[in-house]
Amino acid sequence: MKNKRYASADGEDHGIDLAPMLDFVLNLLIFFIITTSFIKEAGVTVVRPEASTAENREDGNILVALRPNGEVWMERHRVDMREVRAAIERLHIERPDDTVVILADKSSPAGLLAKVMDEVRQGGITEISIAAENTGG
Amino acid sequence: MRIRRHNSDQHDSAHGIDLAPMLDFVLNLLIFFIITAIFVKEVGLTVSRPTDVNQSNEESSSIQIQVLDTGEIFVDNRLVDLRAVRANVERLKALNSDAGVLIVADVAAQTGIIMGVVDQARLGGIYNITFSTTE
Repeated sequence: MKNKRYASADGEDHGIDLAPMLDFVLNLLIFFIITTSFIKEAGVTVVRPEASTAENREDGNILVALRPNGEVWMERHRVDMREVRAAIERLHIERPDDTVVILADKSSPAGLLAKVMDEVRQGGITEISIAAENTGG
Repeated sequence: MRIRRHNSDQHDSAHGIDLAPMLDFVLNLLIFFIITAIFVKEVGLTVSRPTDVNQSNEESSSIQIQVLDTGEIFVDNRLVDLRAVRANVERLKALNSDAGVLIVADVAAQTGIIMGVVDQARLGGIYNITFSTTE
């Protein structure tokens, strides 16, 4: 902060005053630091099922993807079913307010979805939602 | 960029603290945060799983919807079309206003159909939806 004051004192002598630009850039910087959300991307694309009543999940930052062939993806890696619980426990400790959004492919089997939901619940996160494509109406 | 260089050159030769390295660093930080910022939010439906404690309790008072692996949907043991689930849920909700919906799906049923049923139940006015599977 002291540095900036020196700069504005300089500006009065000669050259362009850098202080307003620096203020602006620092504000931008703070804005982006604060709004950065730490979403744990799943790493694969899935075909989401359609729903017209889908709601925005503000704190749904942990994404778990299920593919039609039964693969489970978390944090850009393919994980085993038995690793899901440990991973959720770890992420839950890191950011306790986060909830889980399961990106289940349209044609993934229901048994897999149920198993993953149970694993997530055992990992300590009880609020689970299933991602959907909003069709409106 | 030209303005900044011009200015910092003058500072170097003249007097005061050189701001240029700090400004470079701050701009780099700024660019990093702009690039890593993700504004996409997922939309979804919240579904709960039966807990061991209240499972038997819930089954008695809830509307049961069965989904087979073939995609057939049964409400109250009657085969219905996906688009008719909403009407059925509304009718059963009128009979028992505090009922929840229990979806019992075959393990091989497709998630897309289950989500369709969940959507229909929510359109029918019931948001307390539990999802379980048959072994």
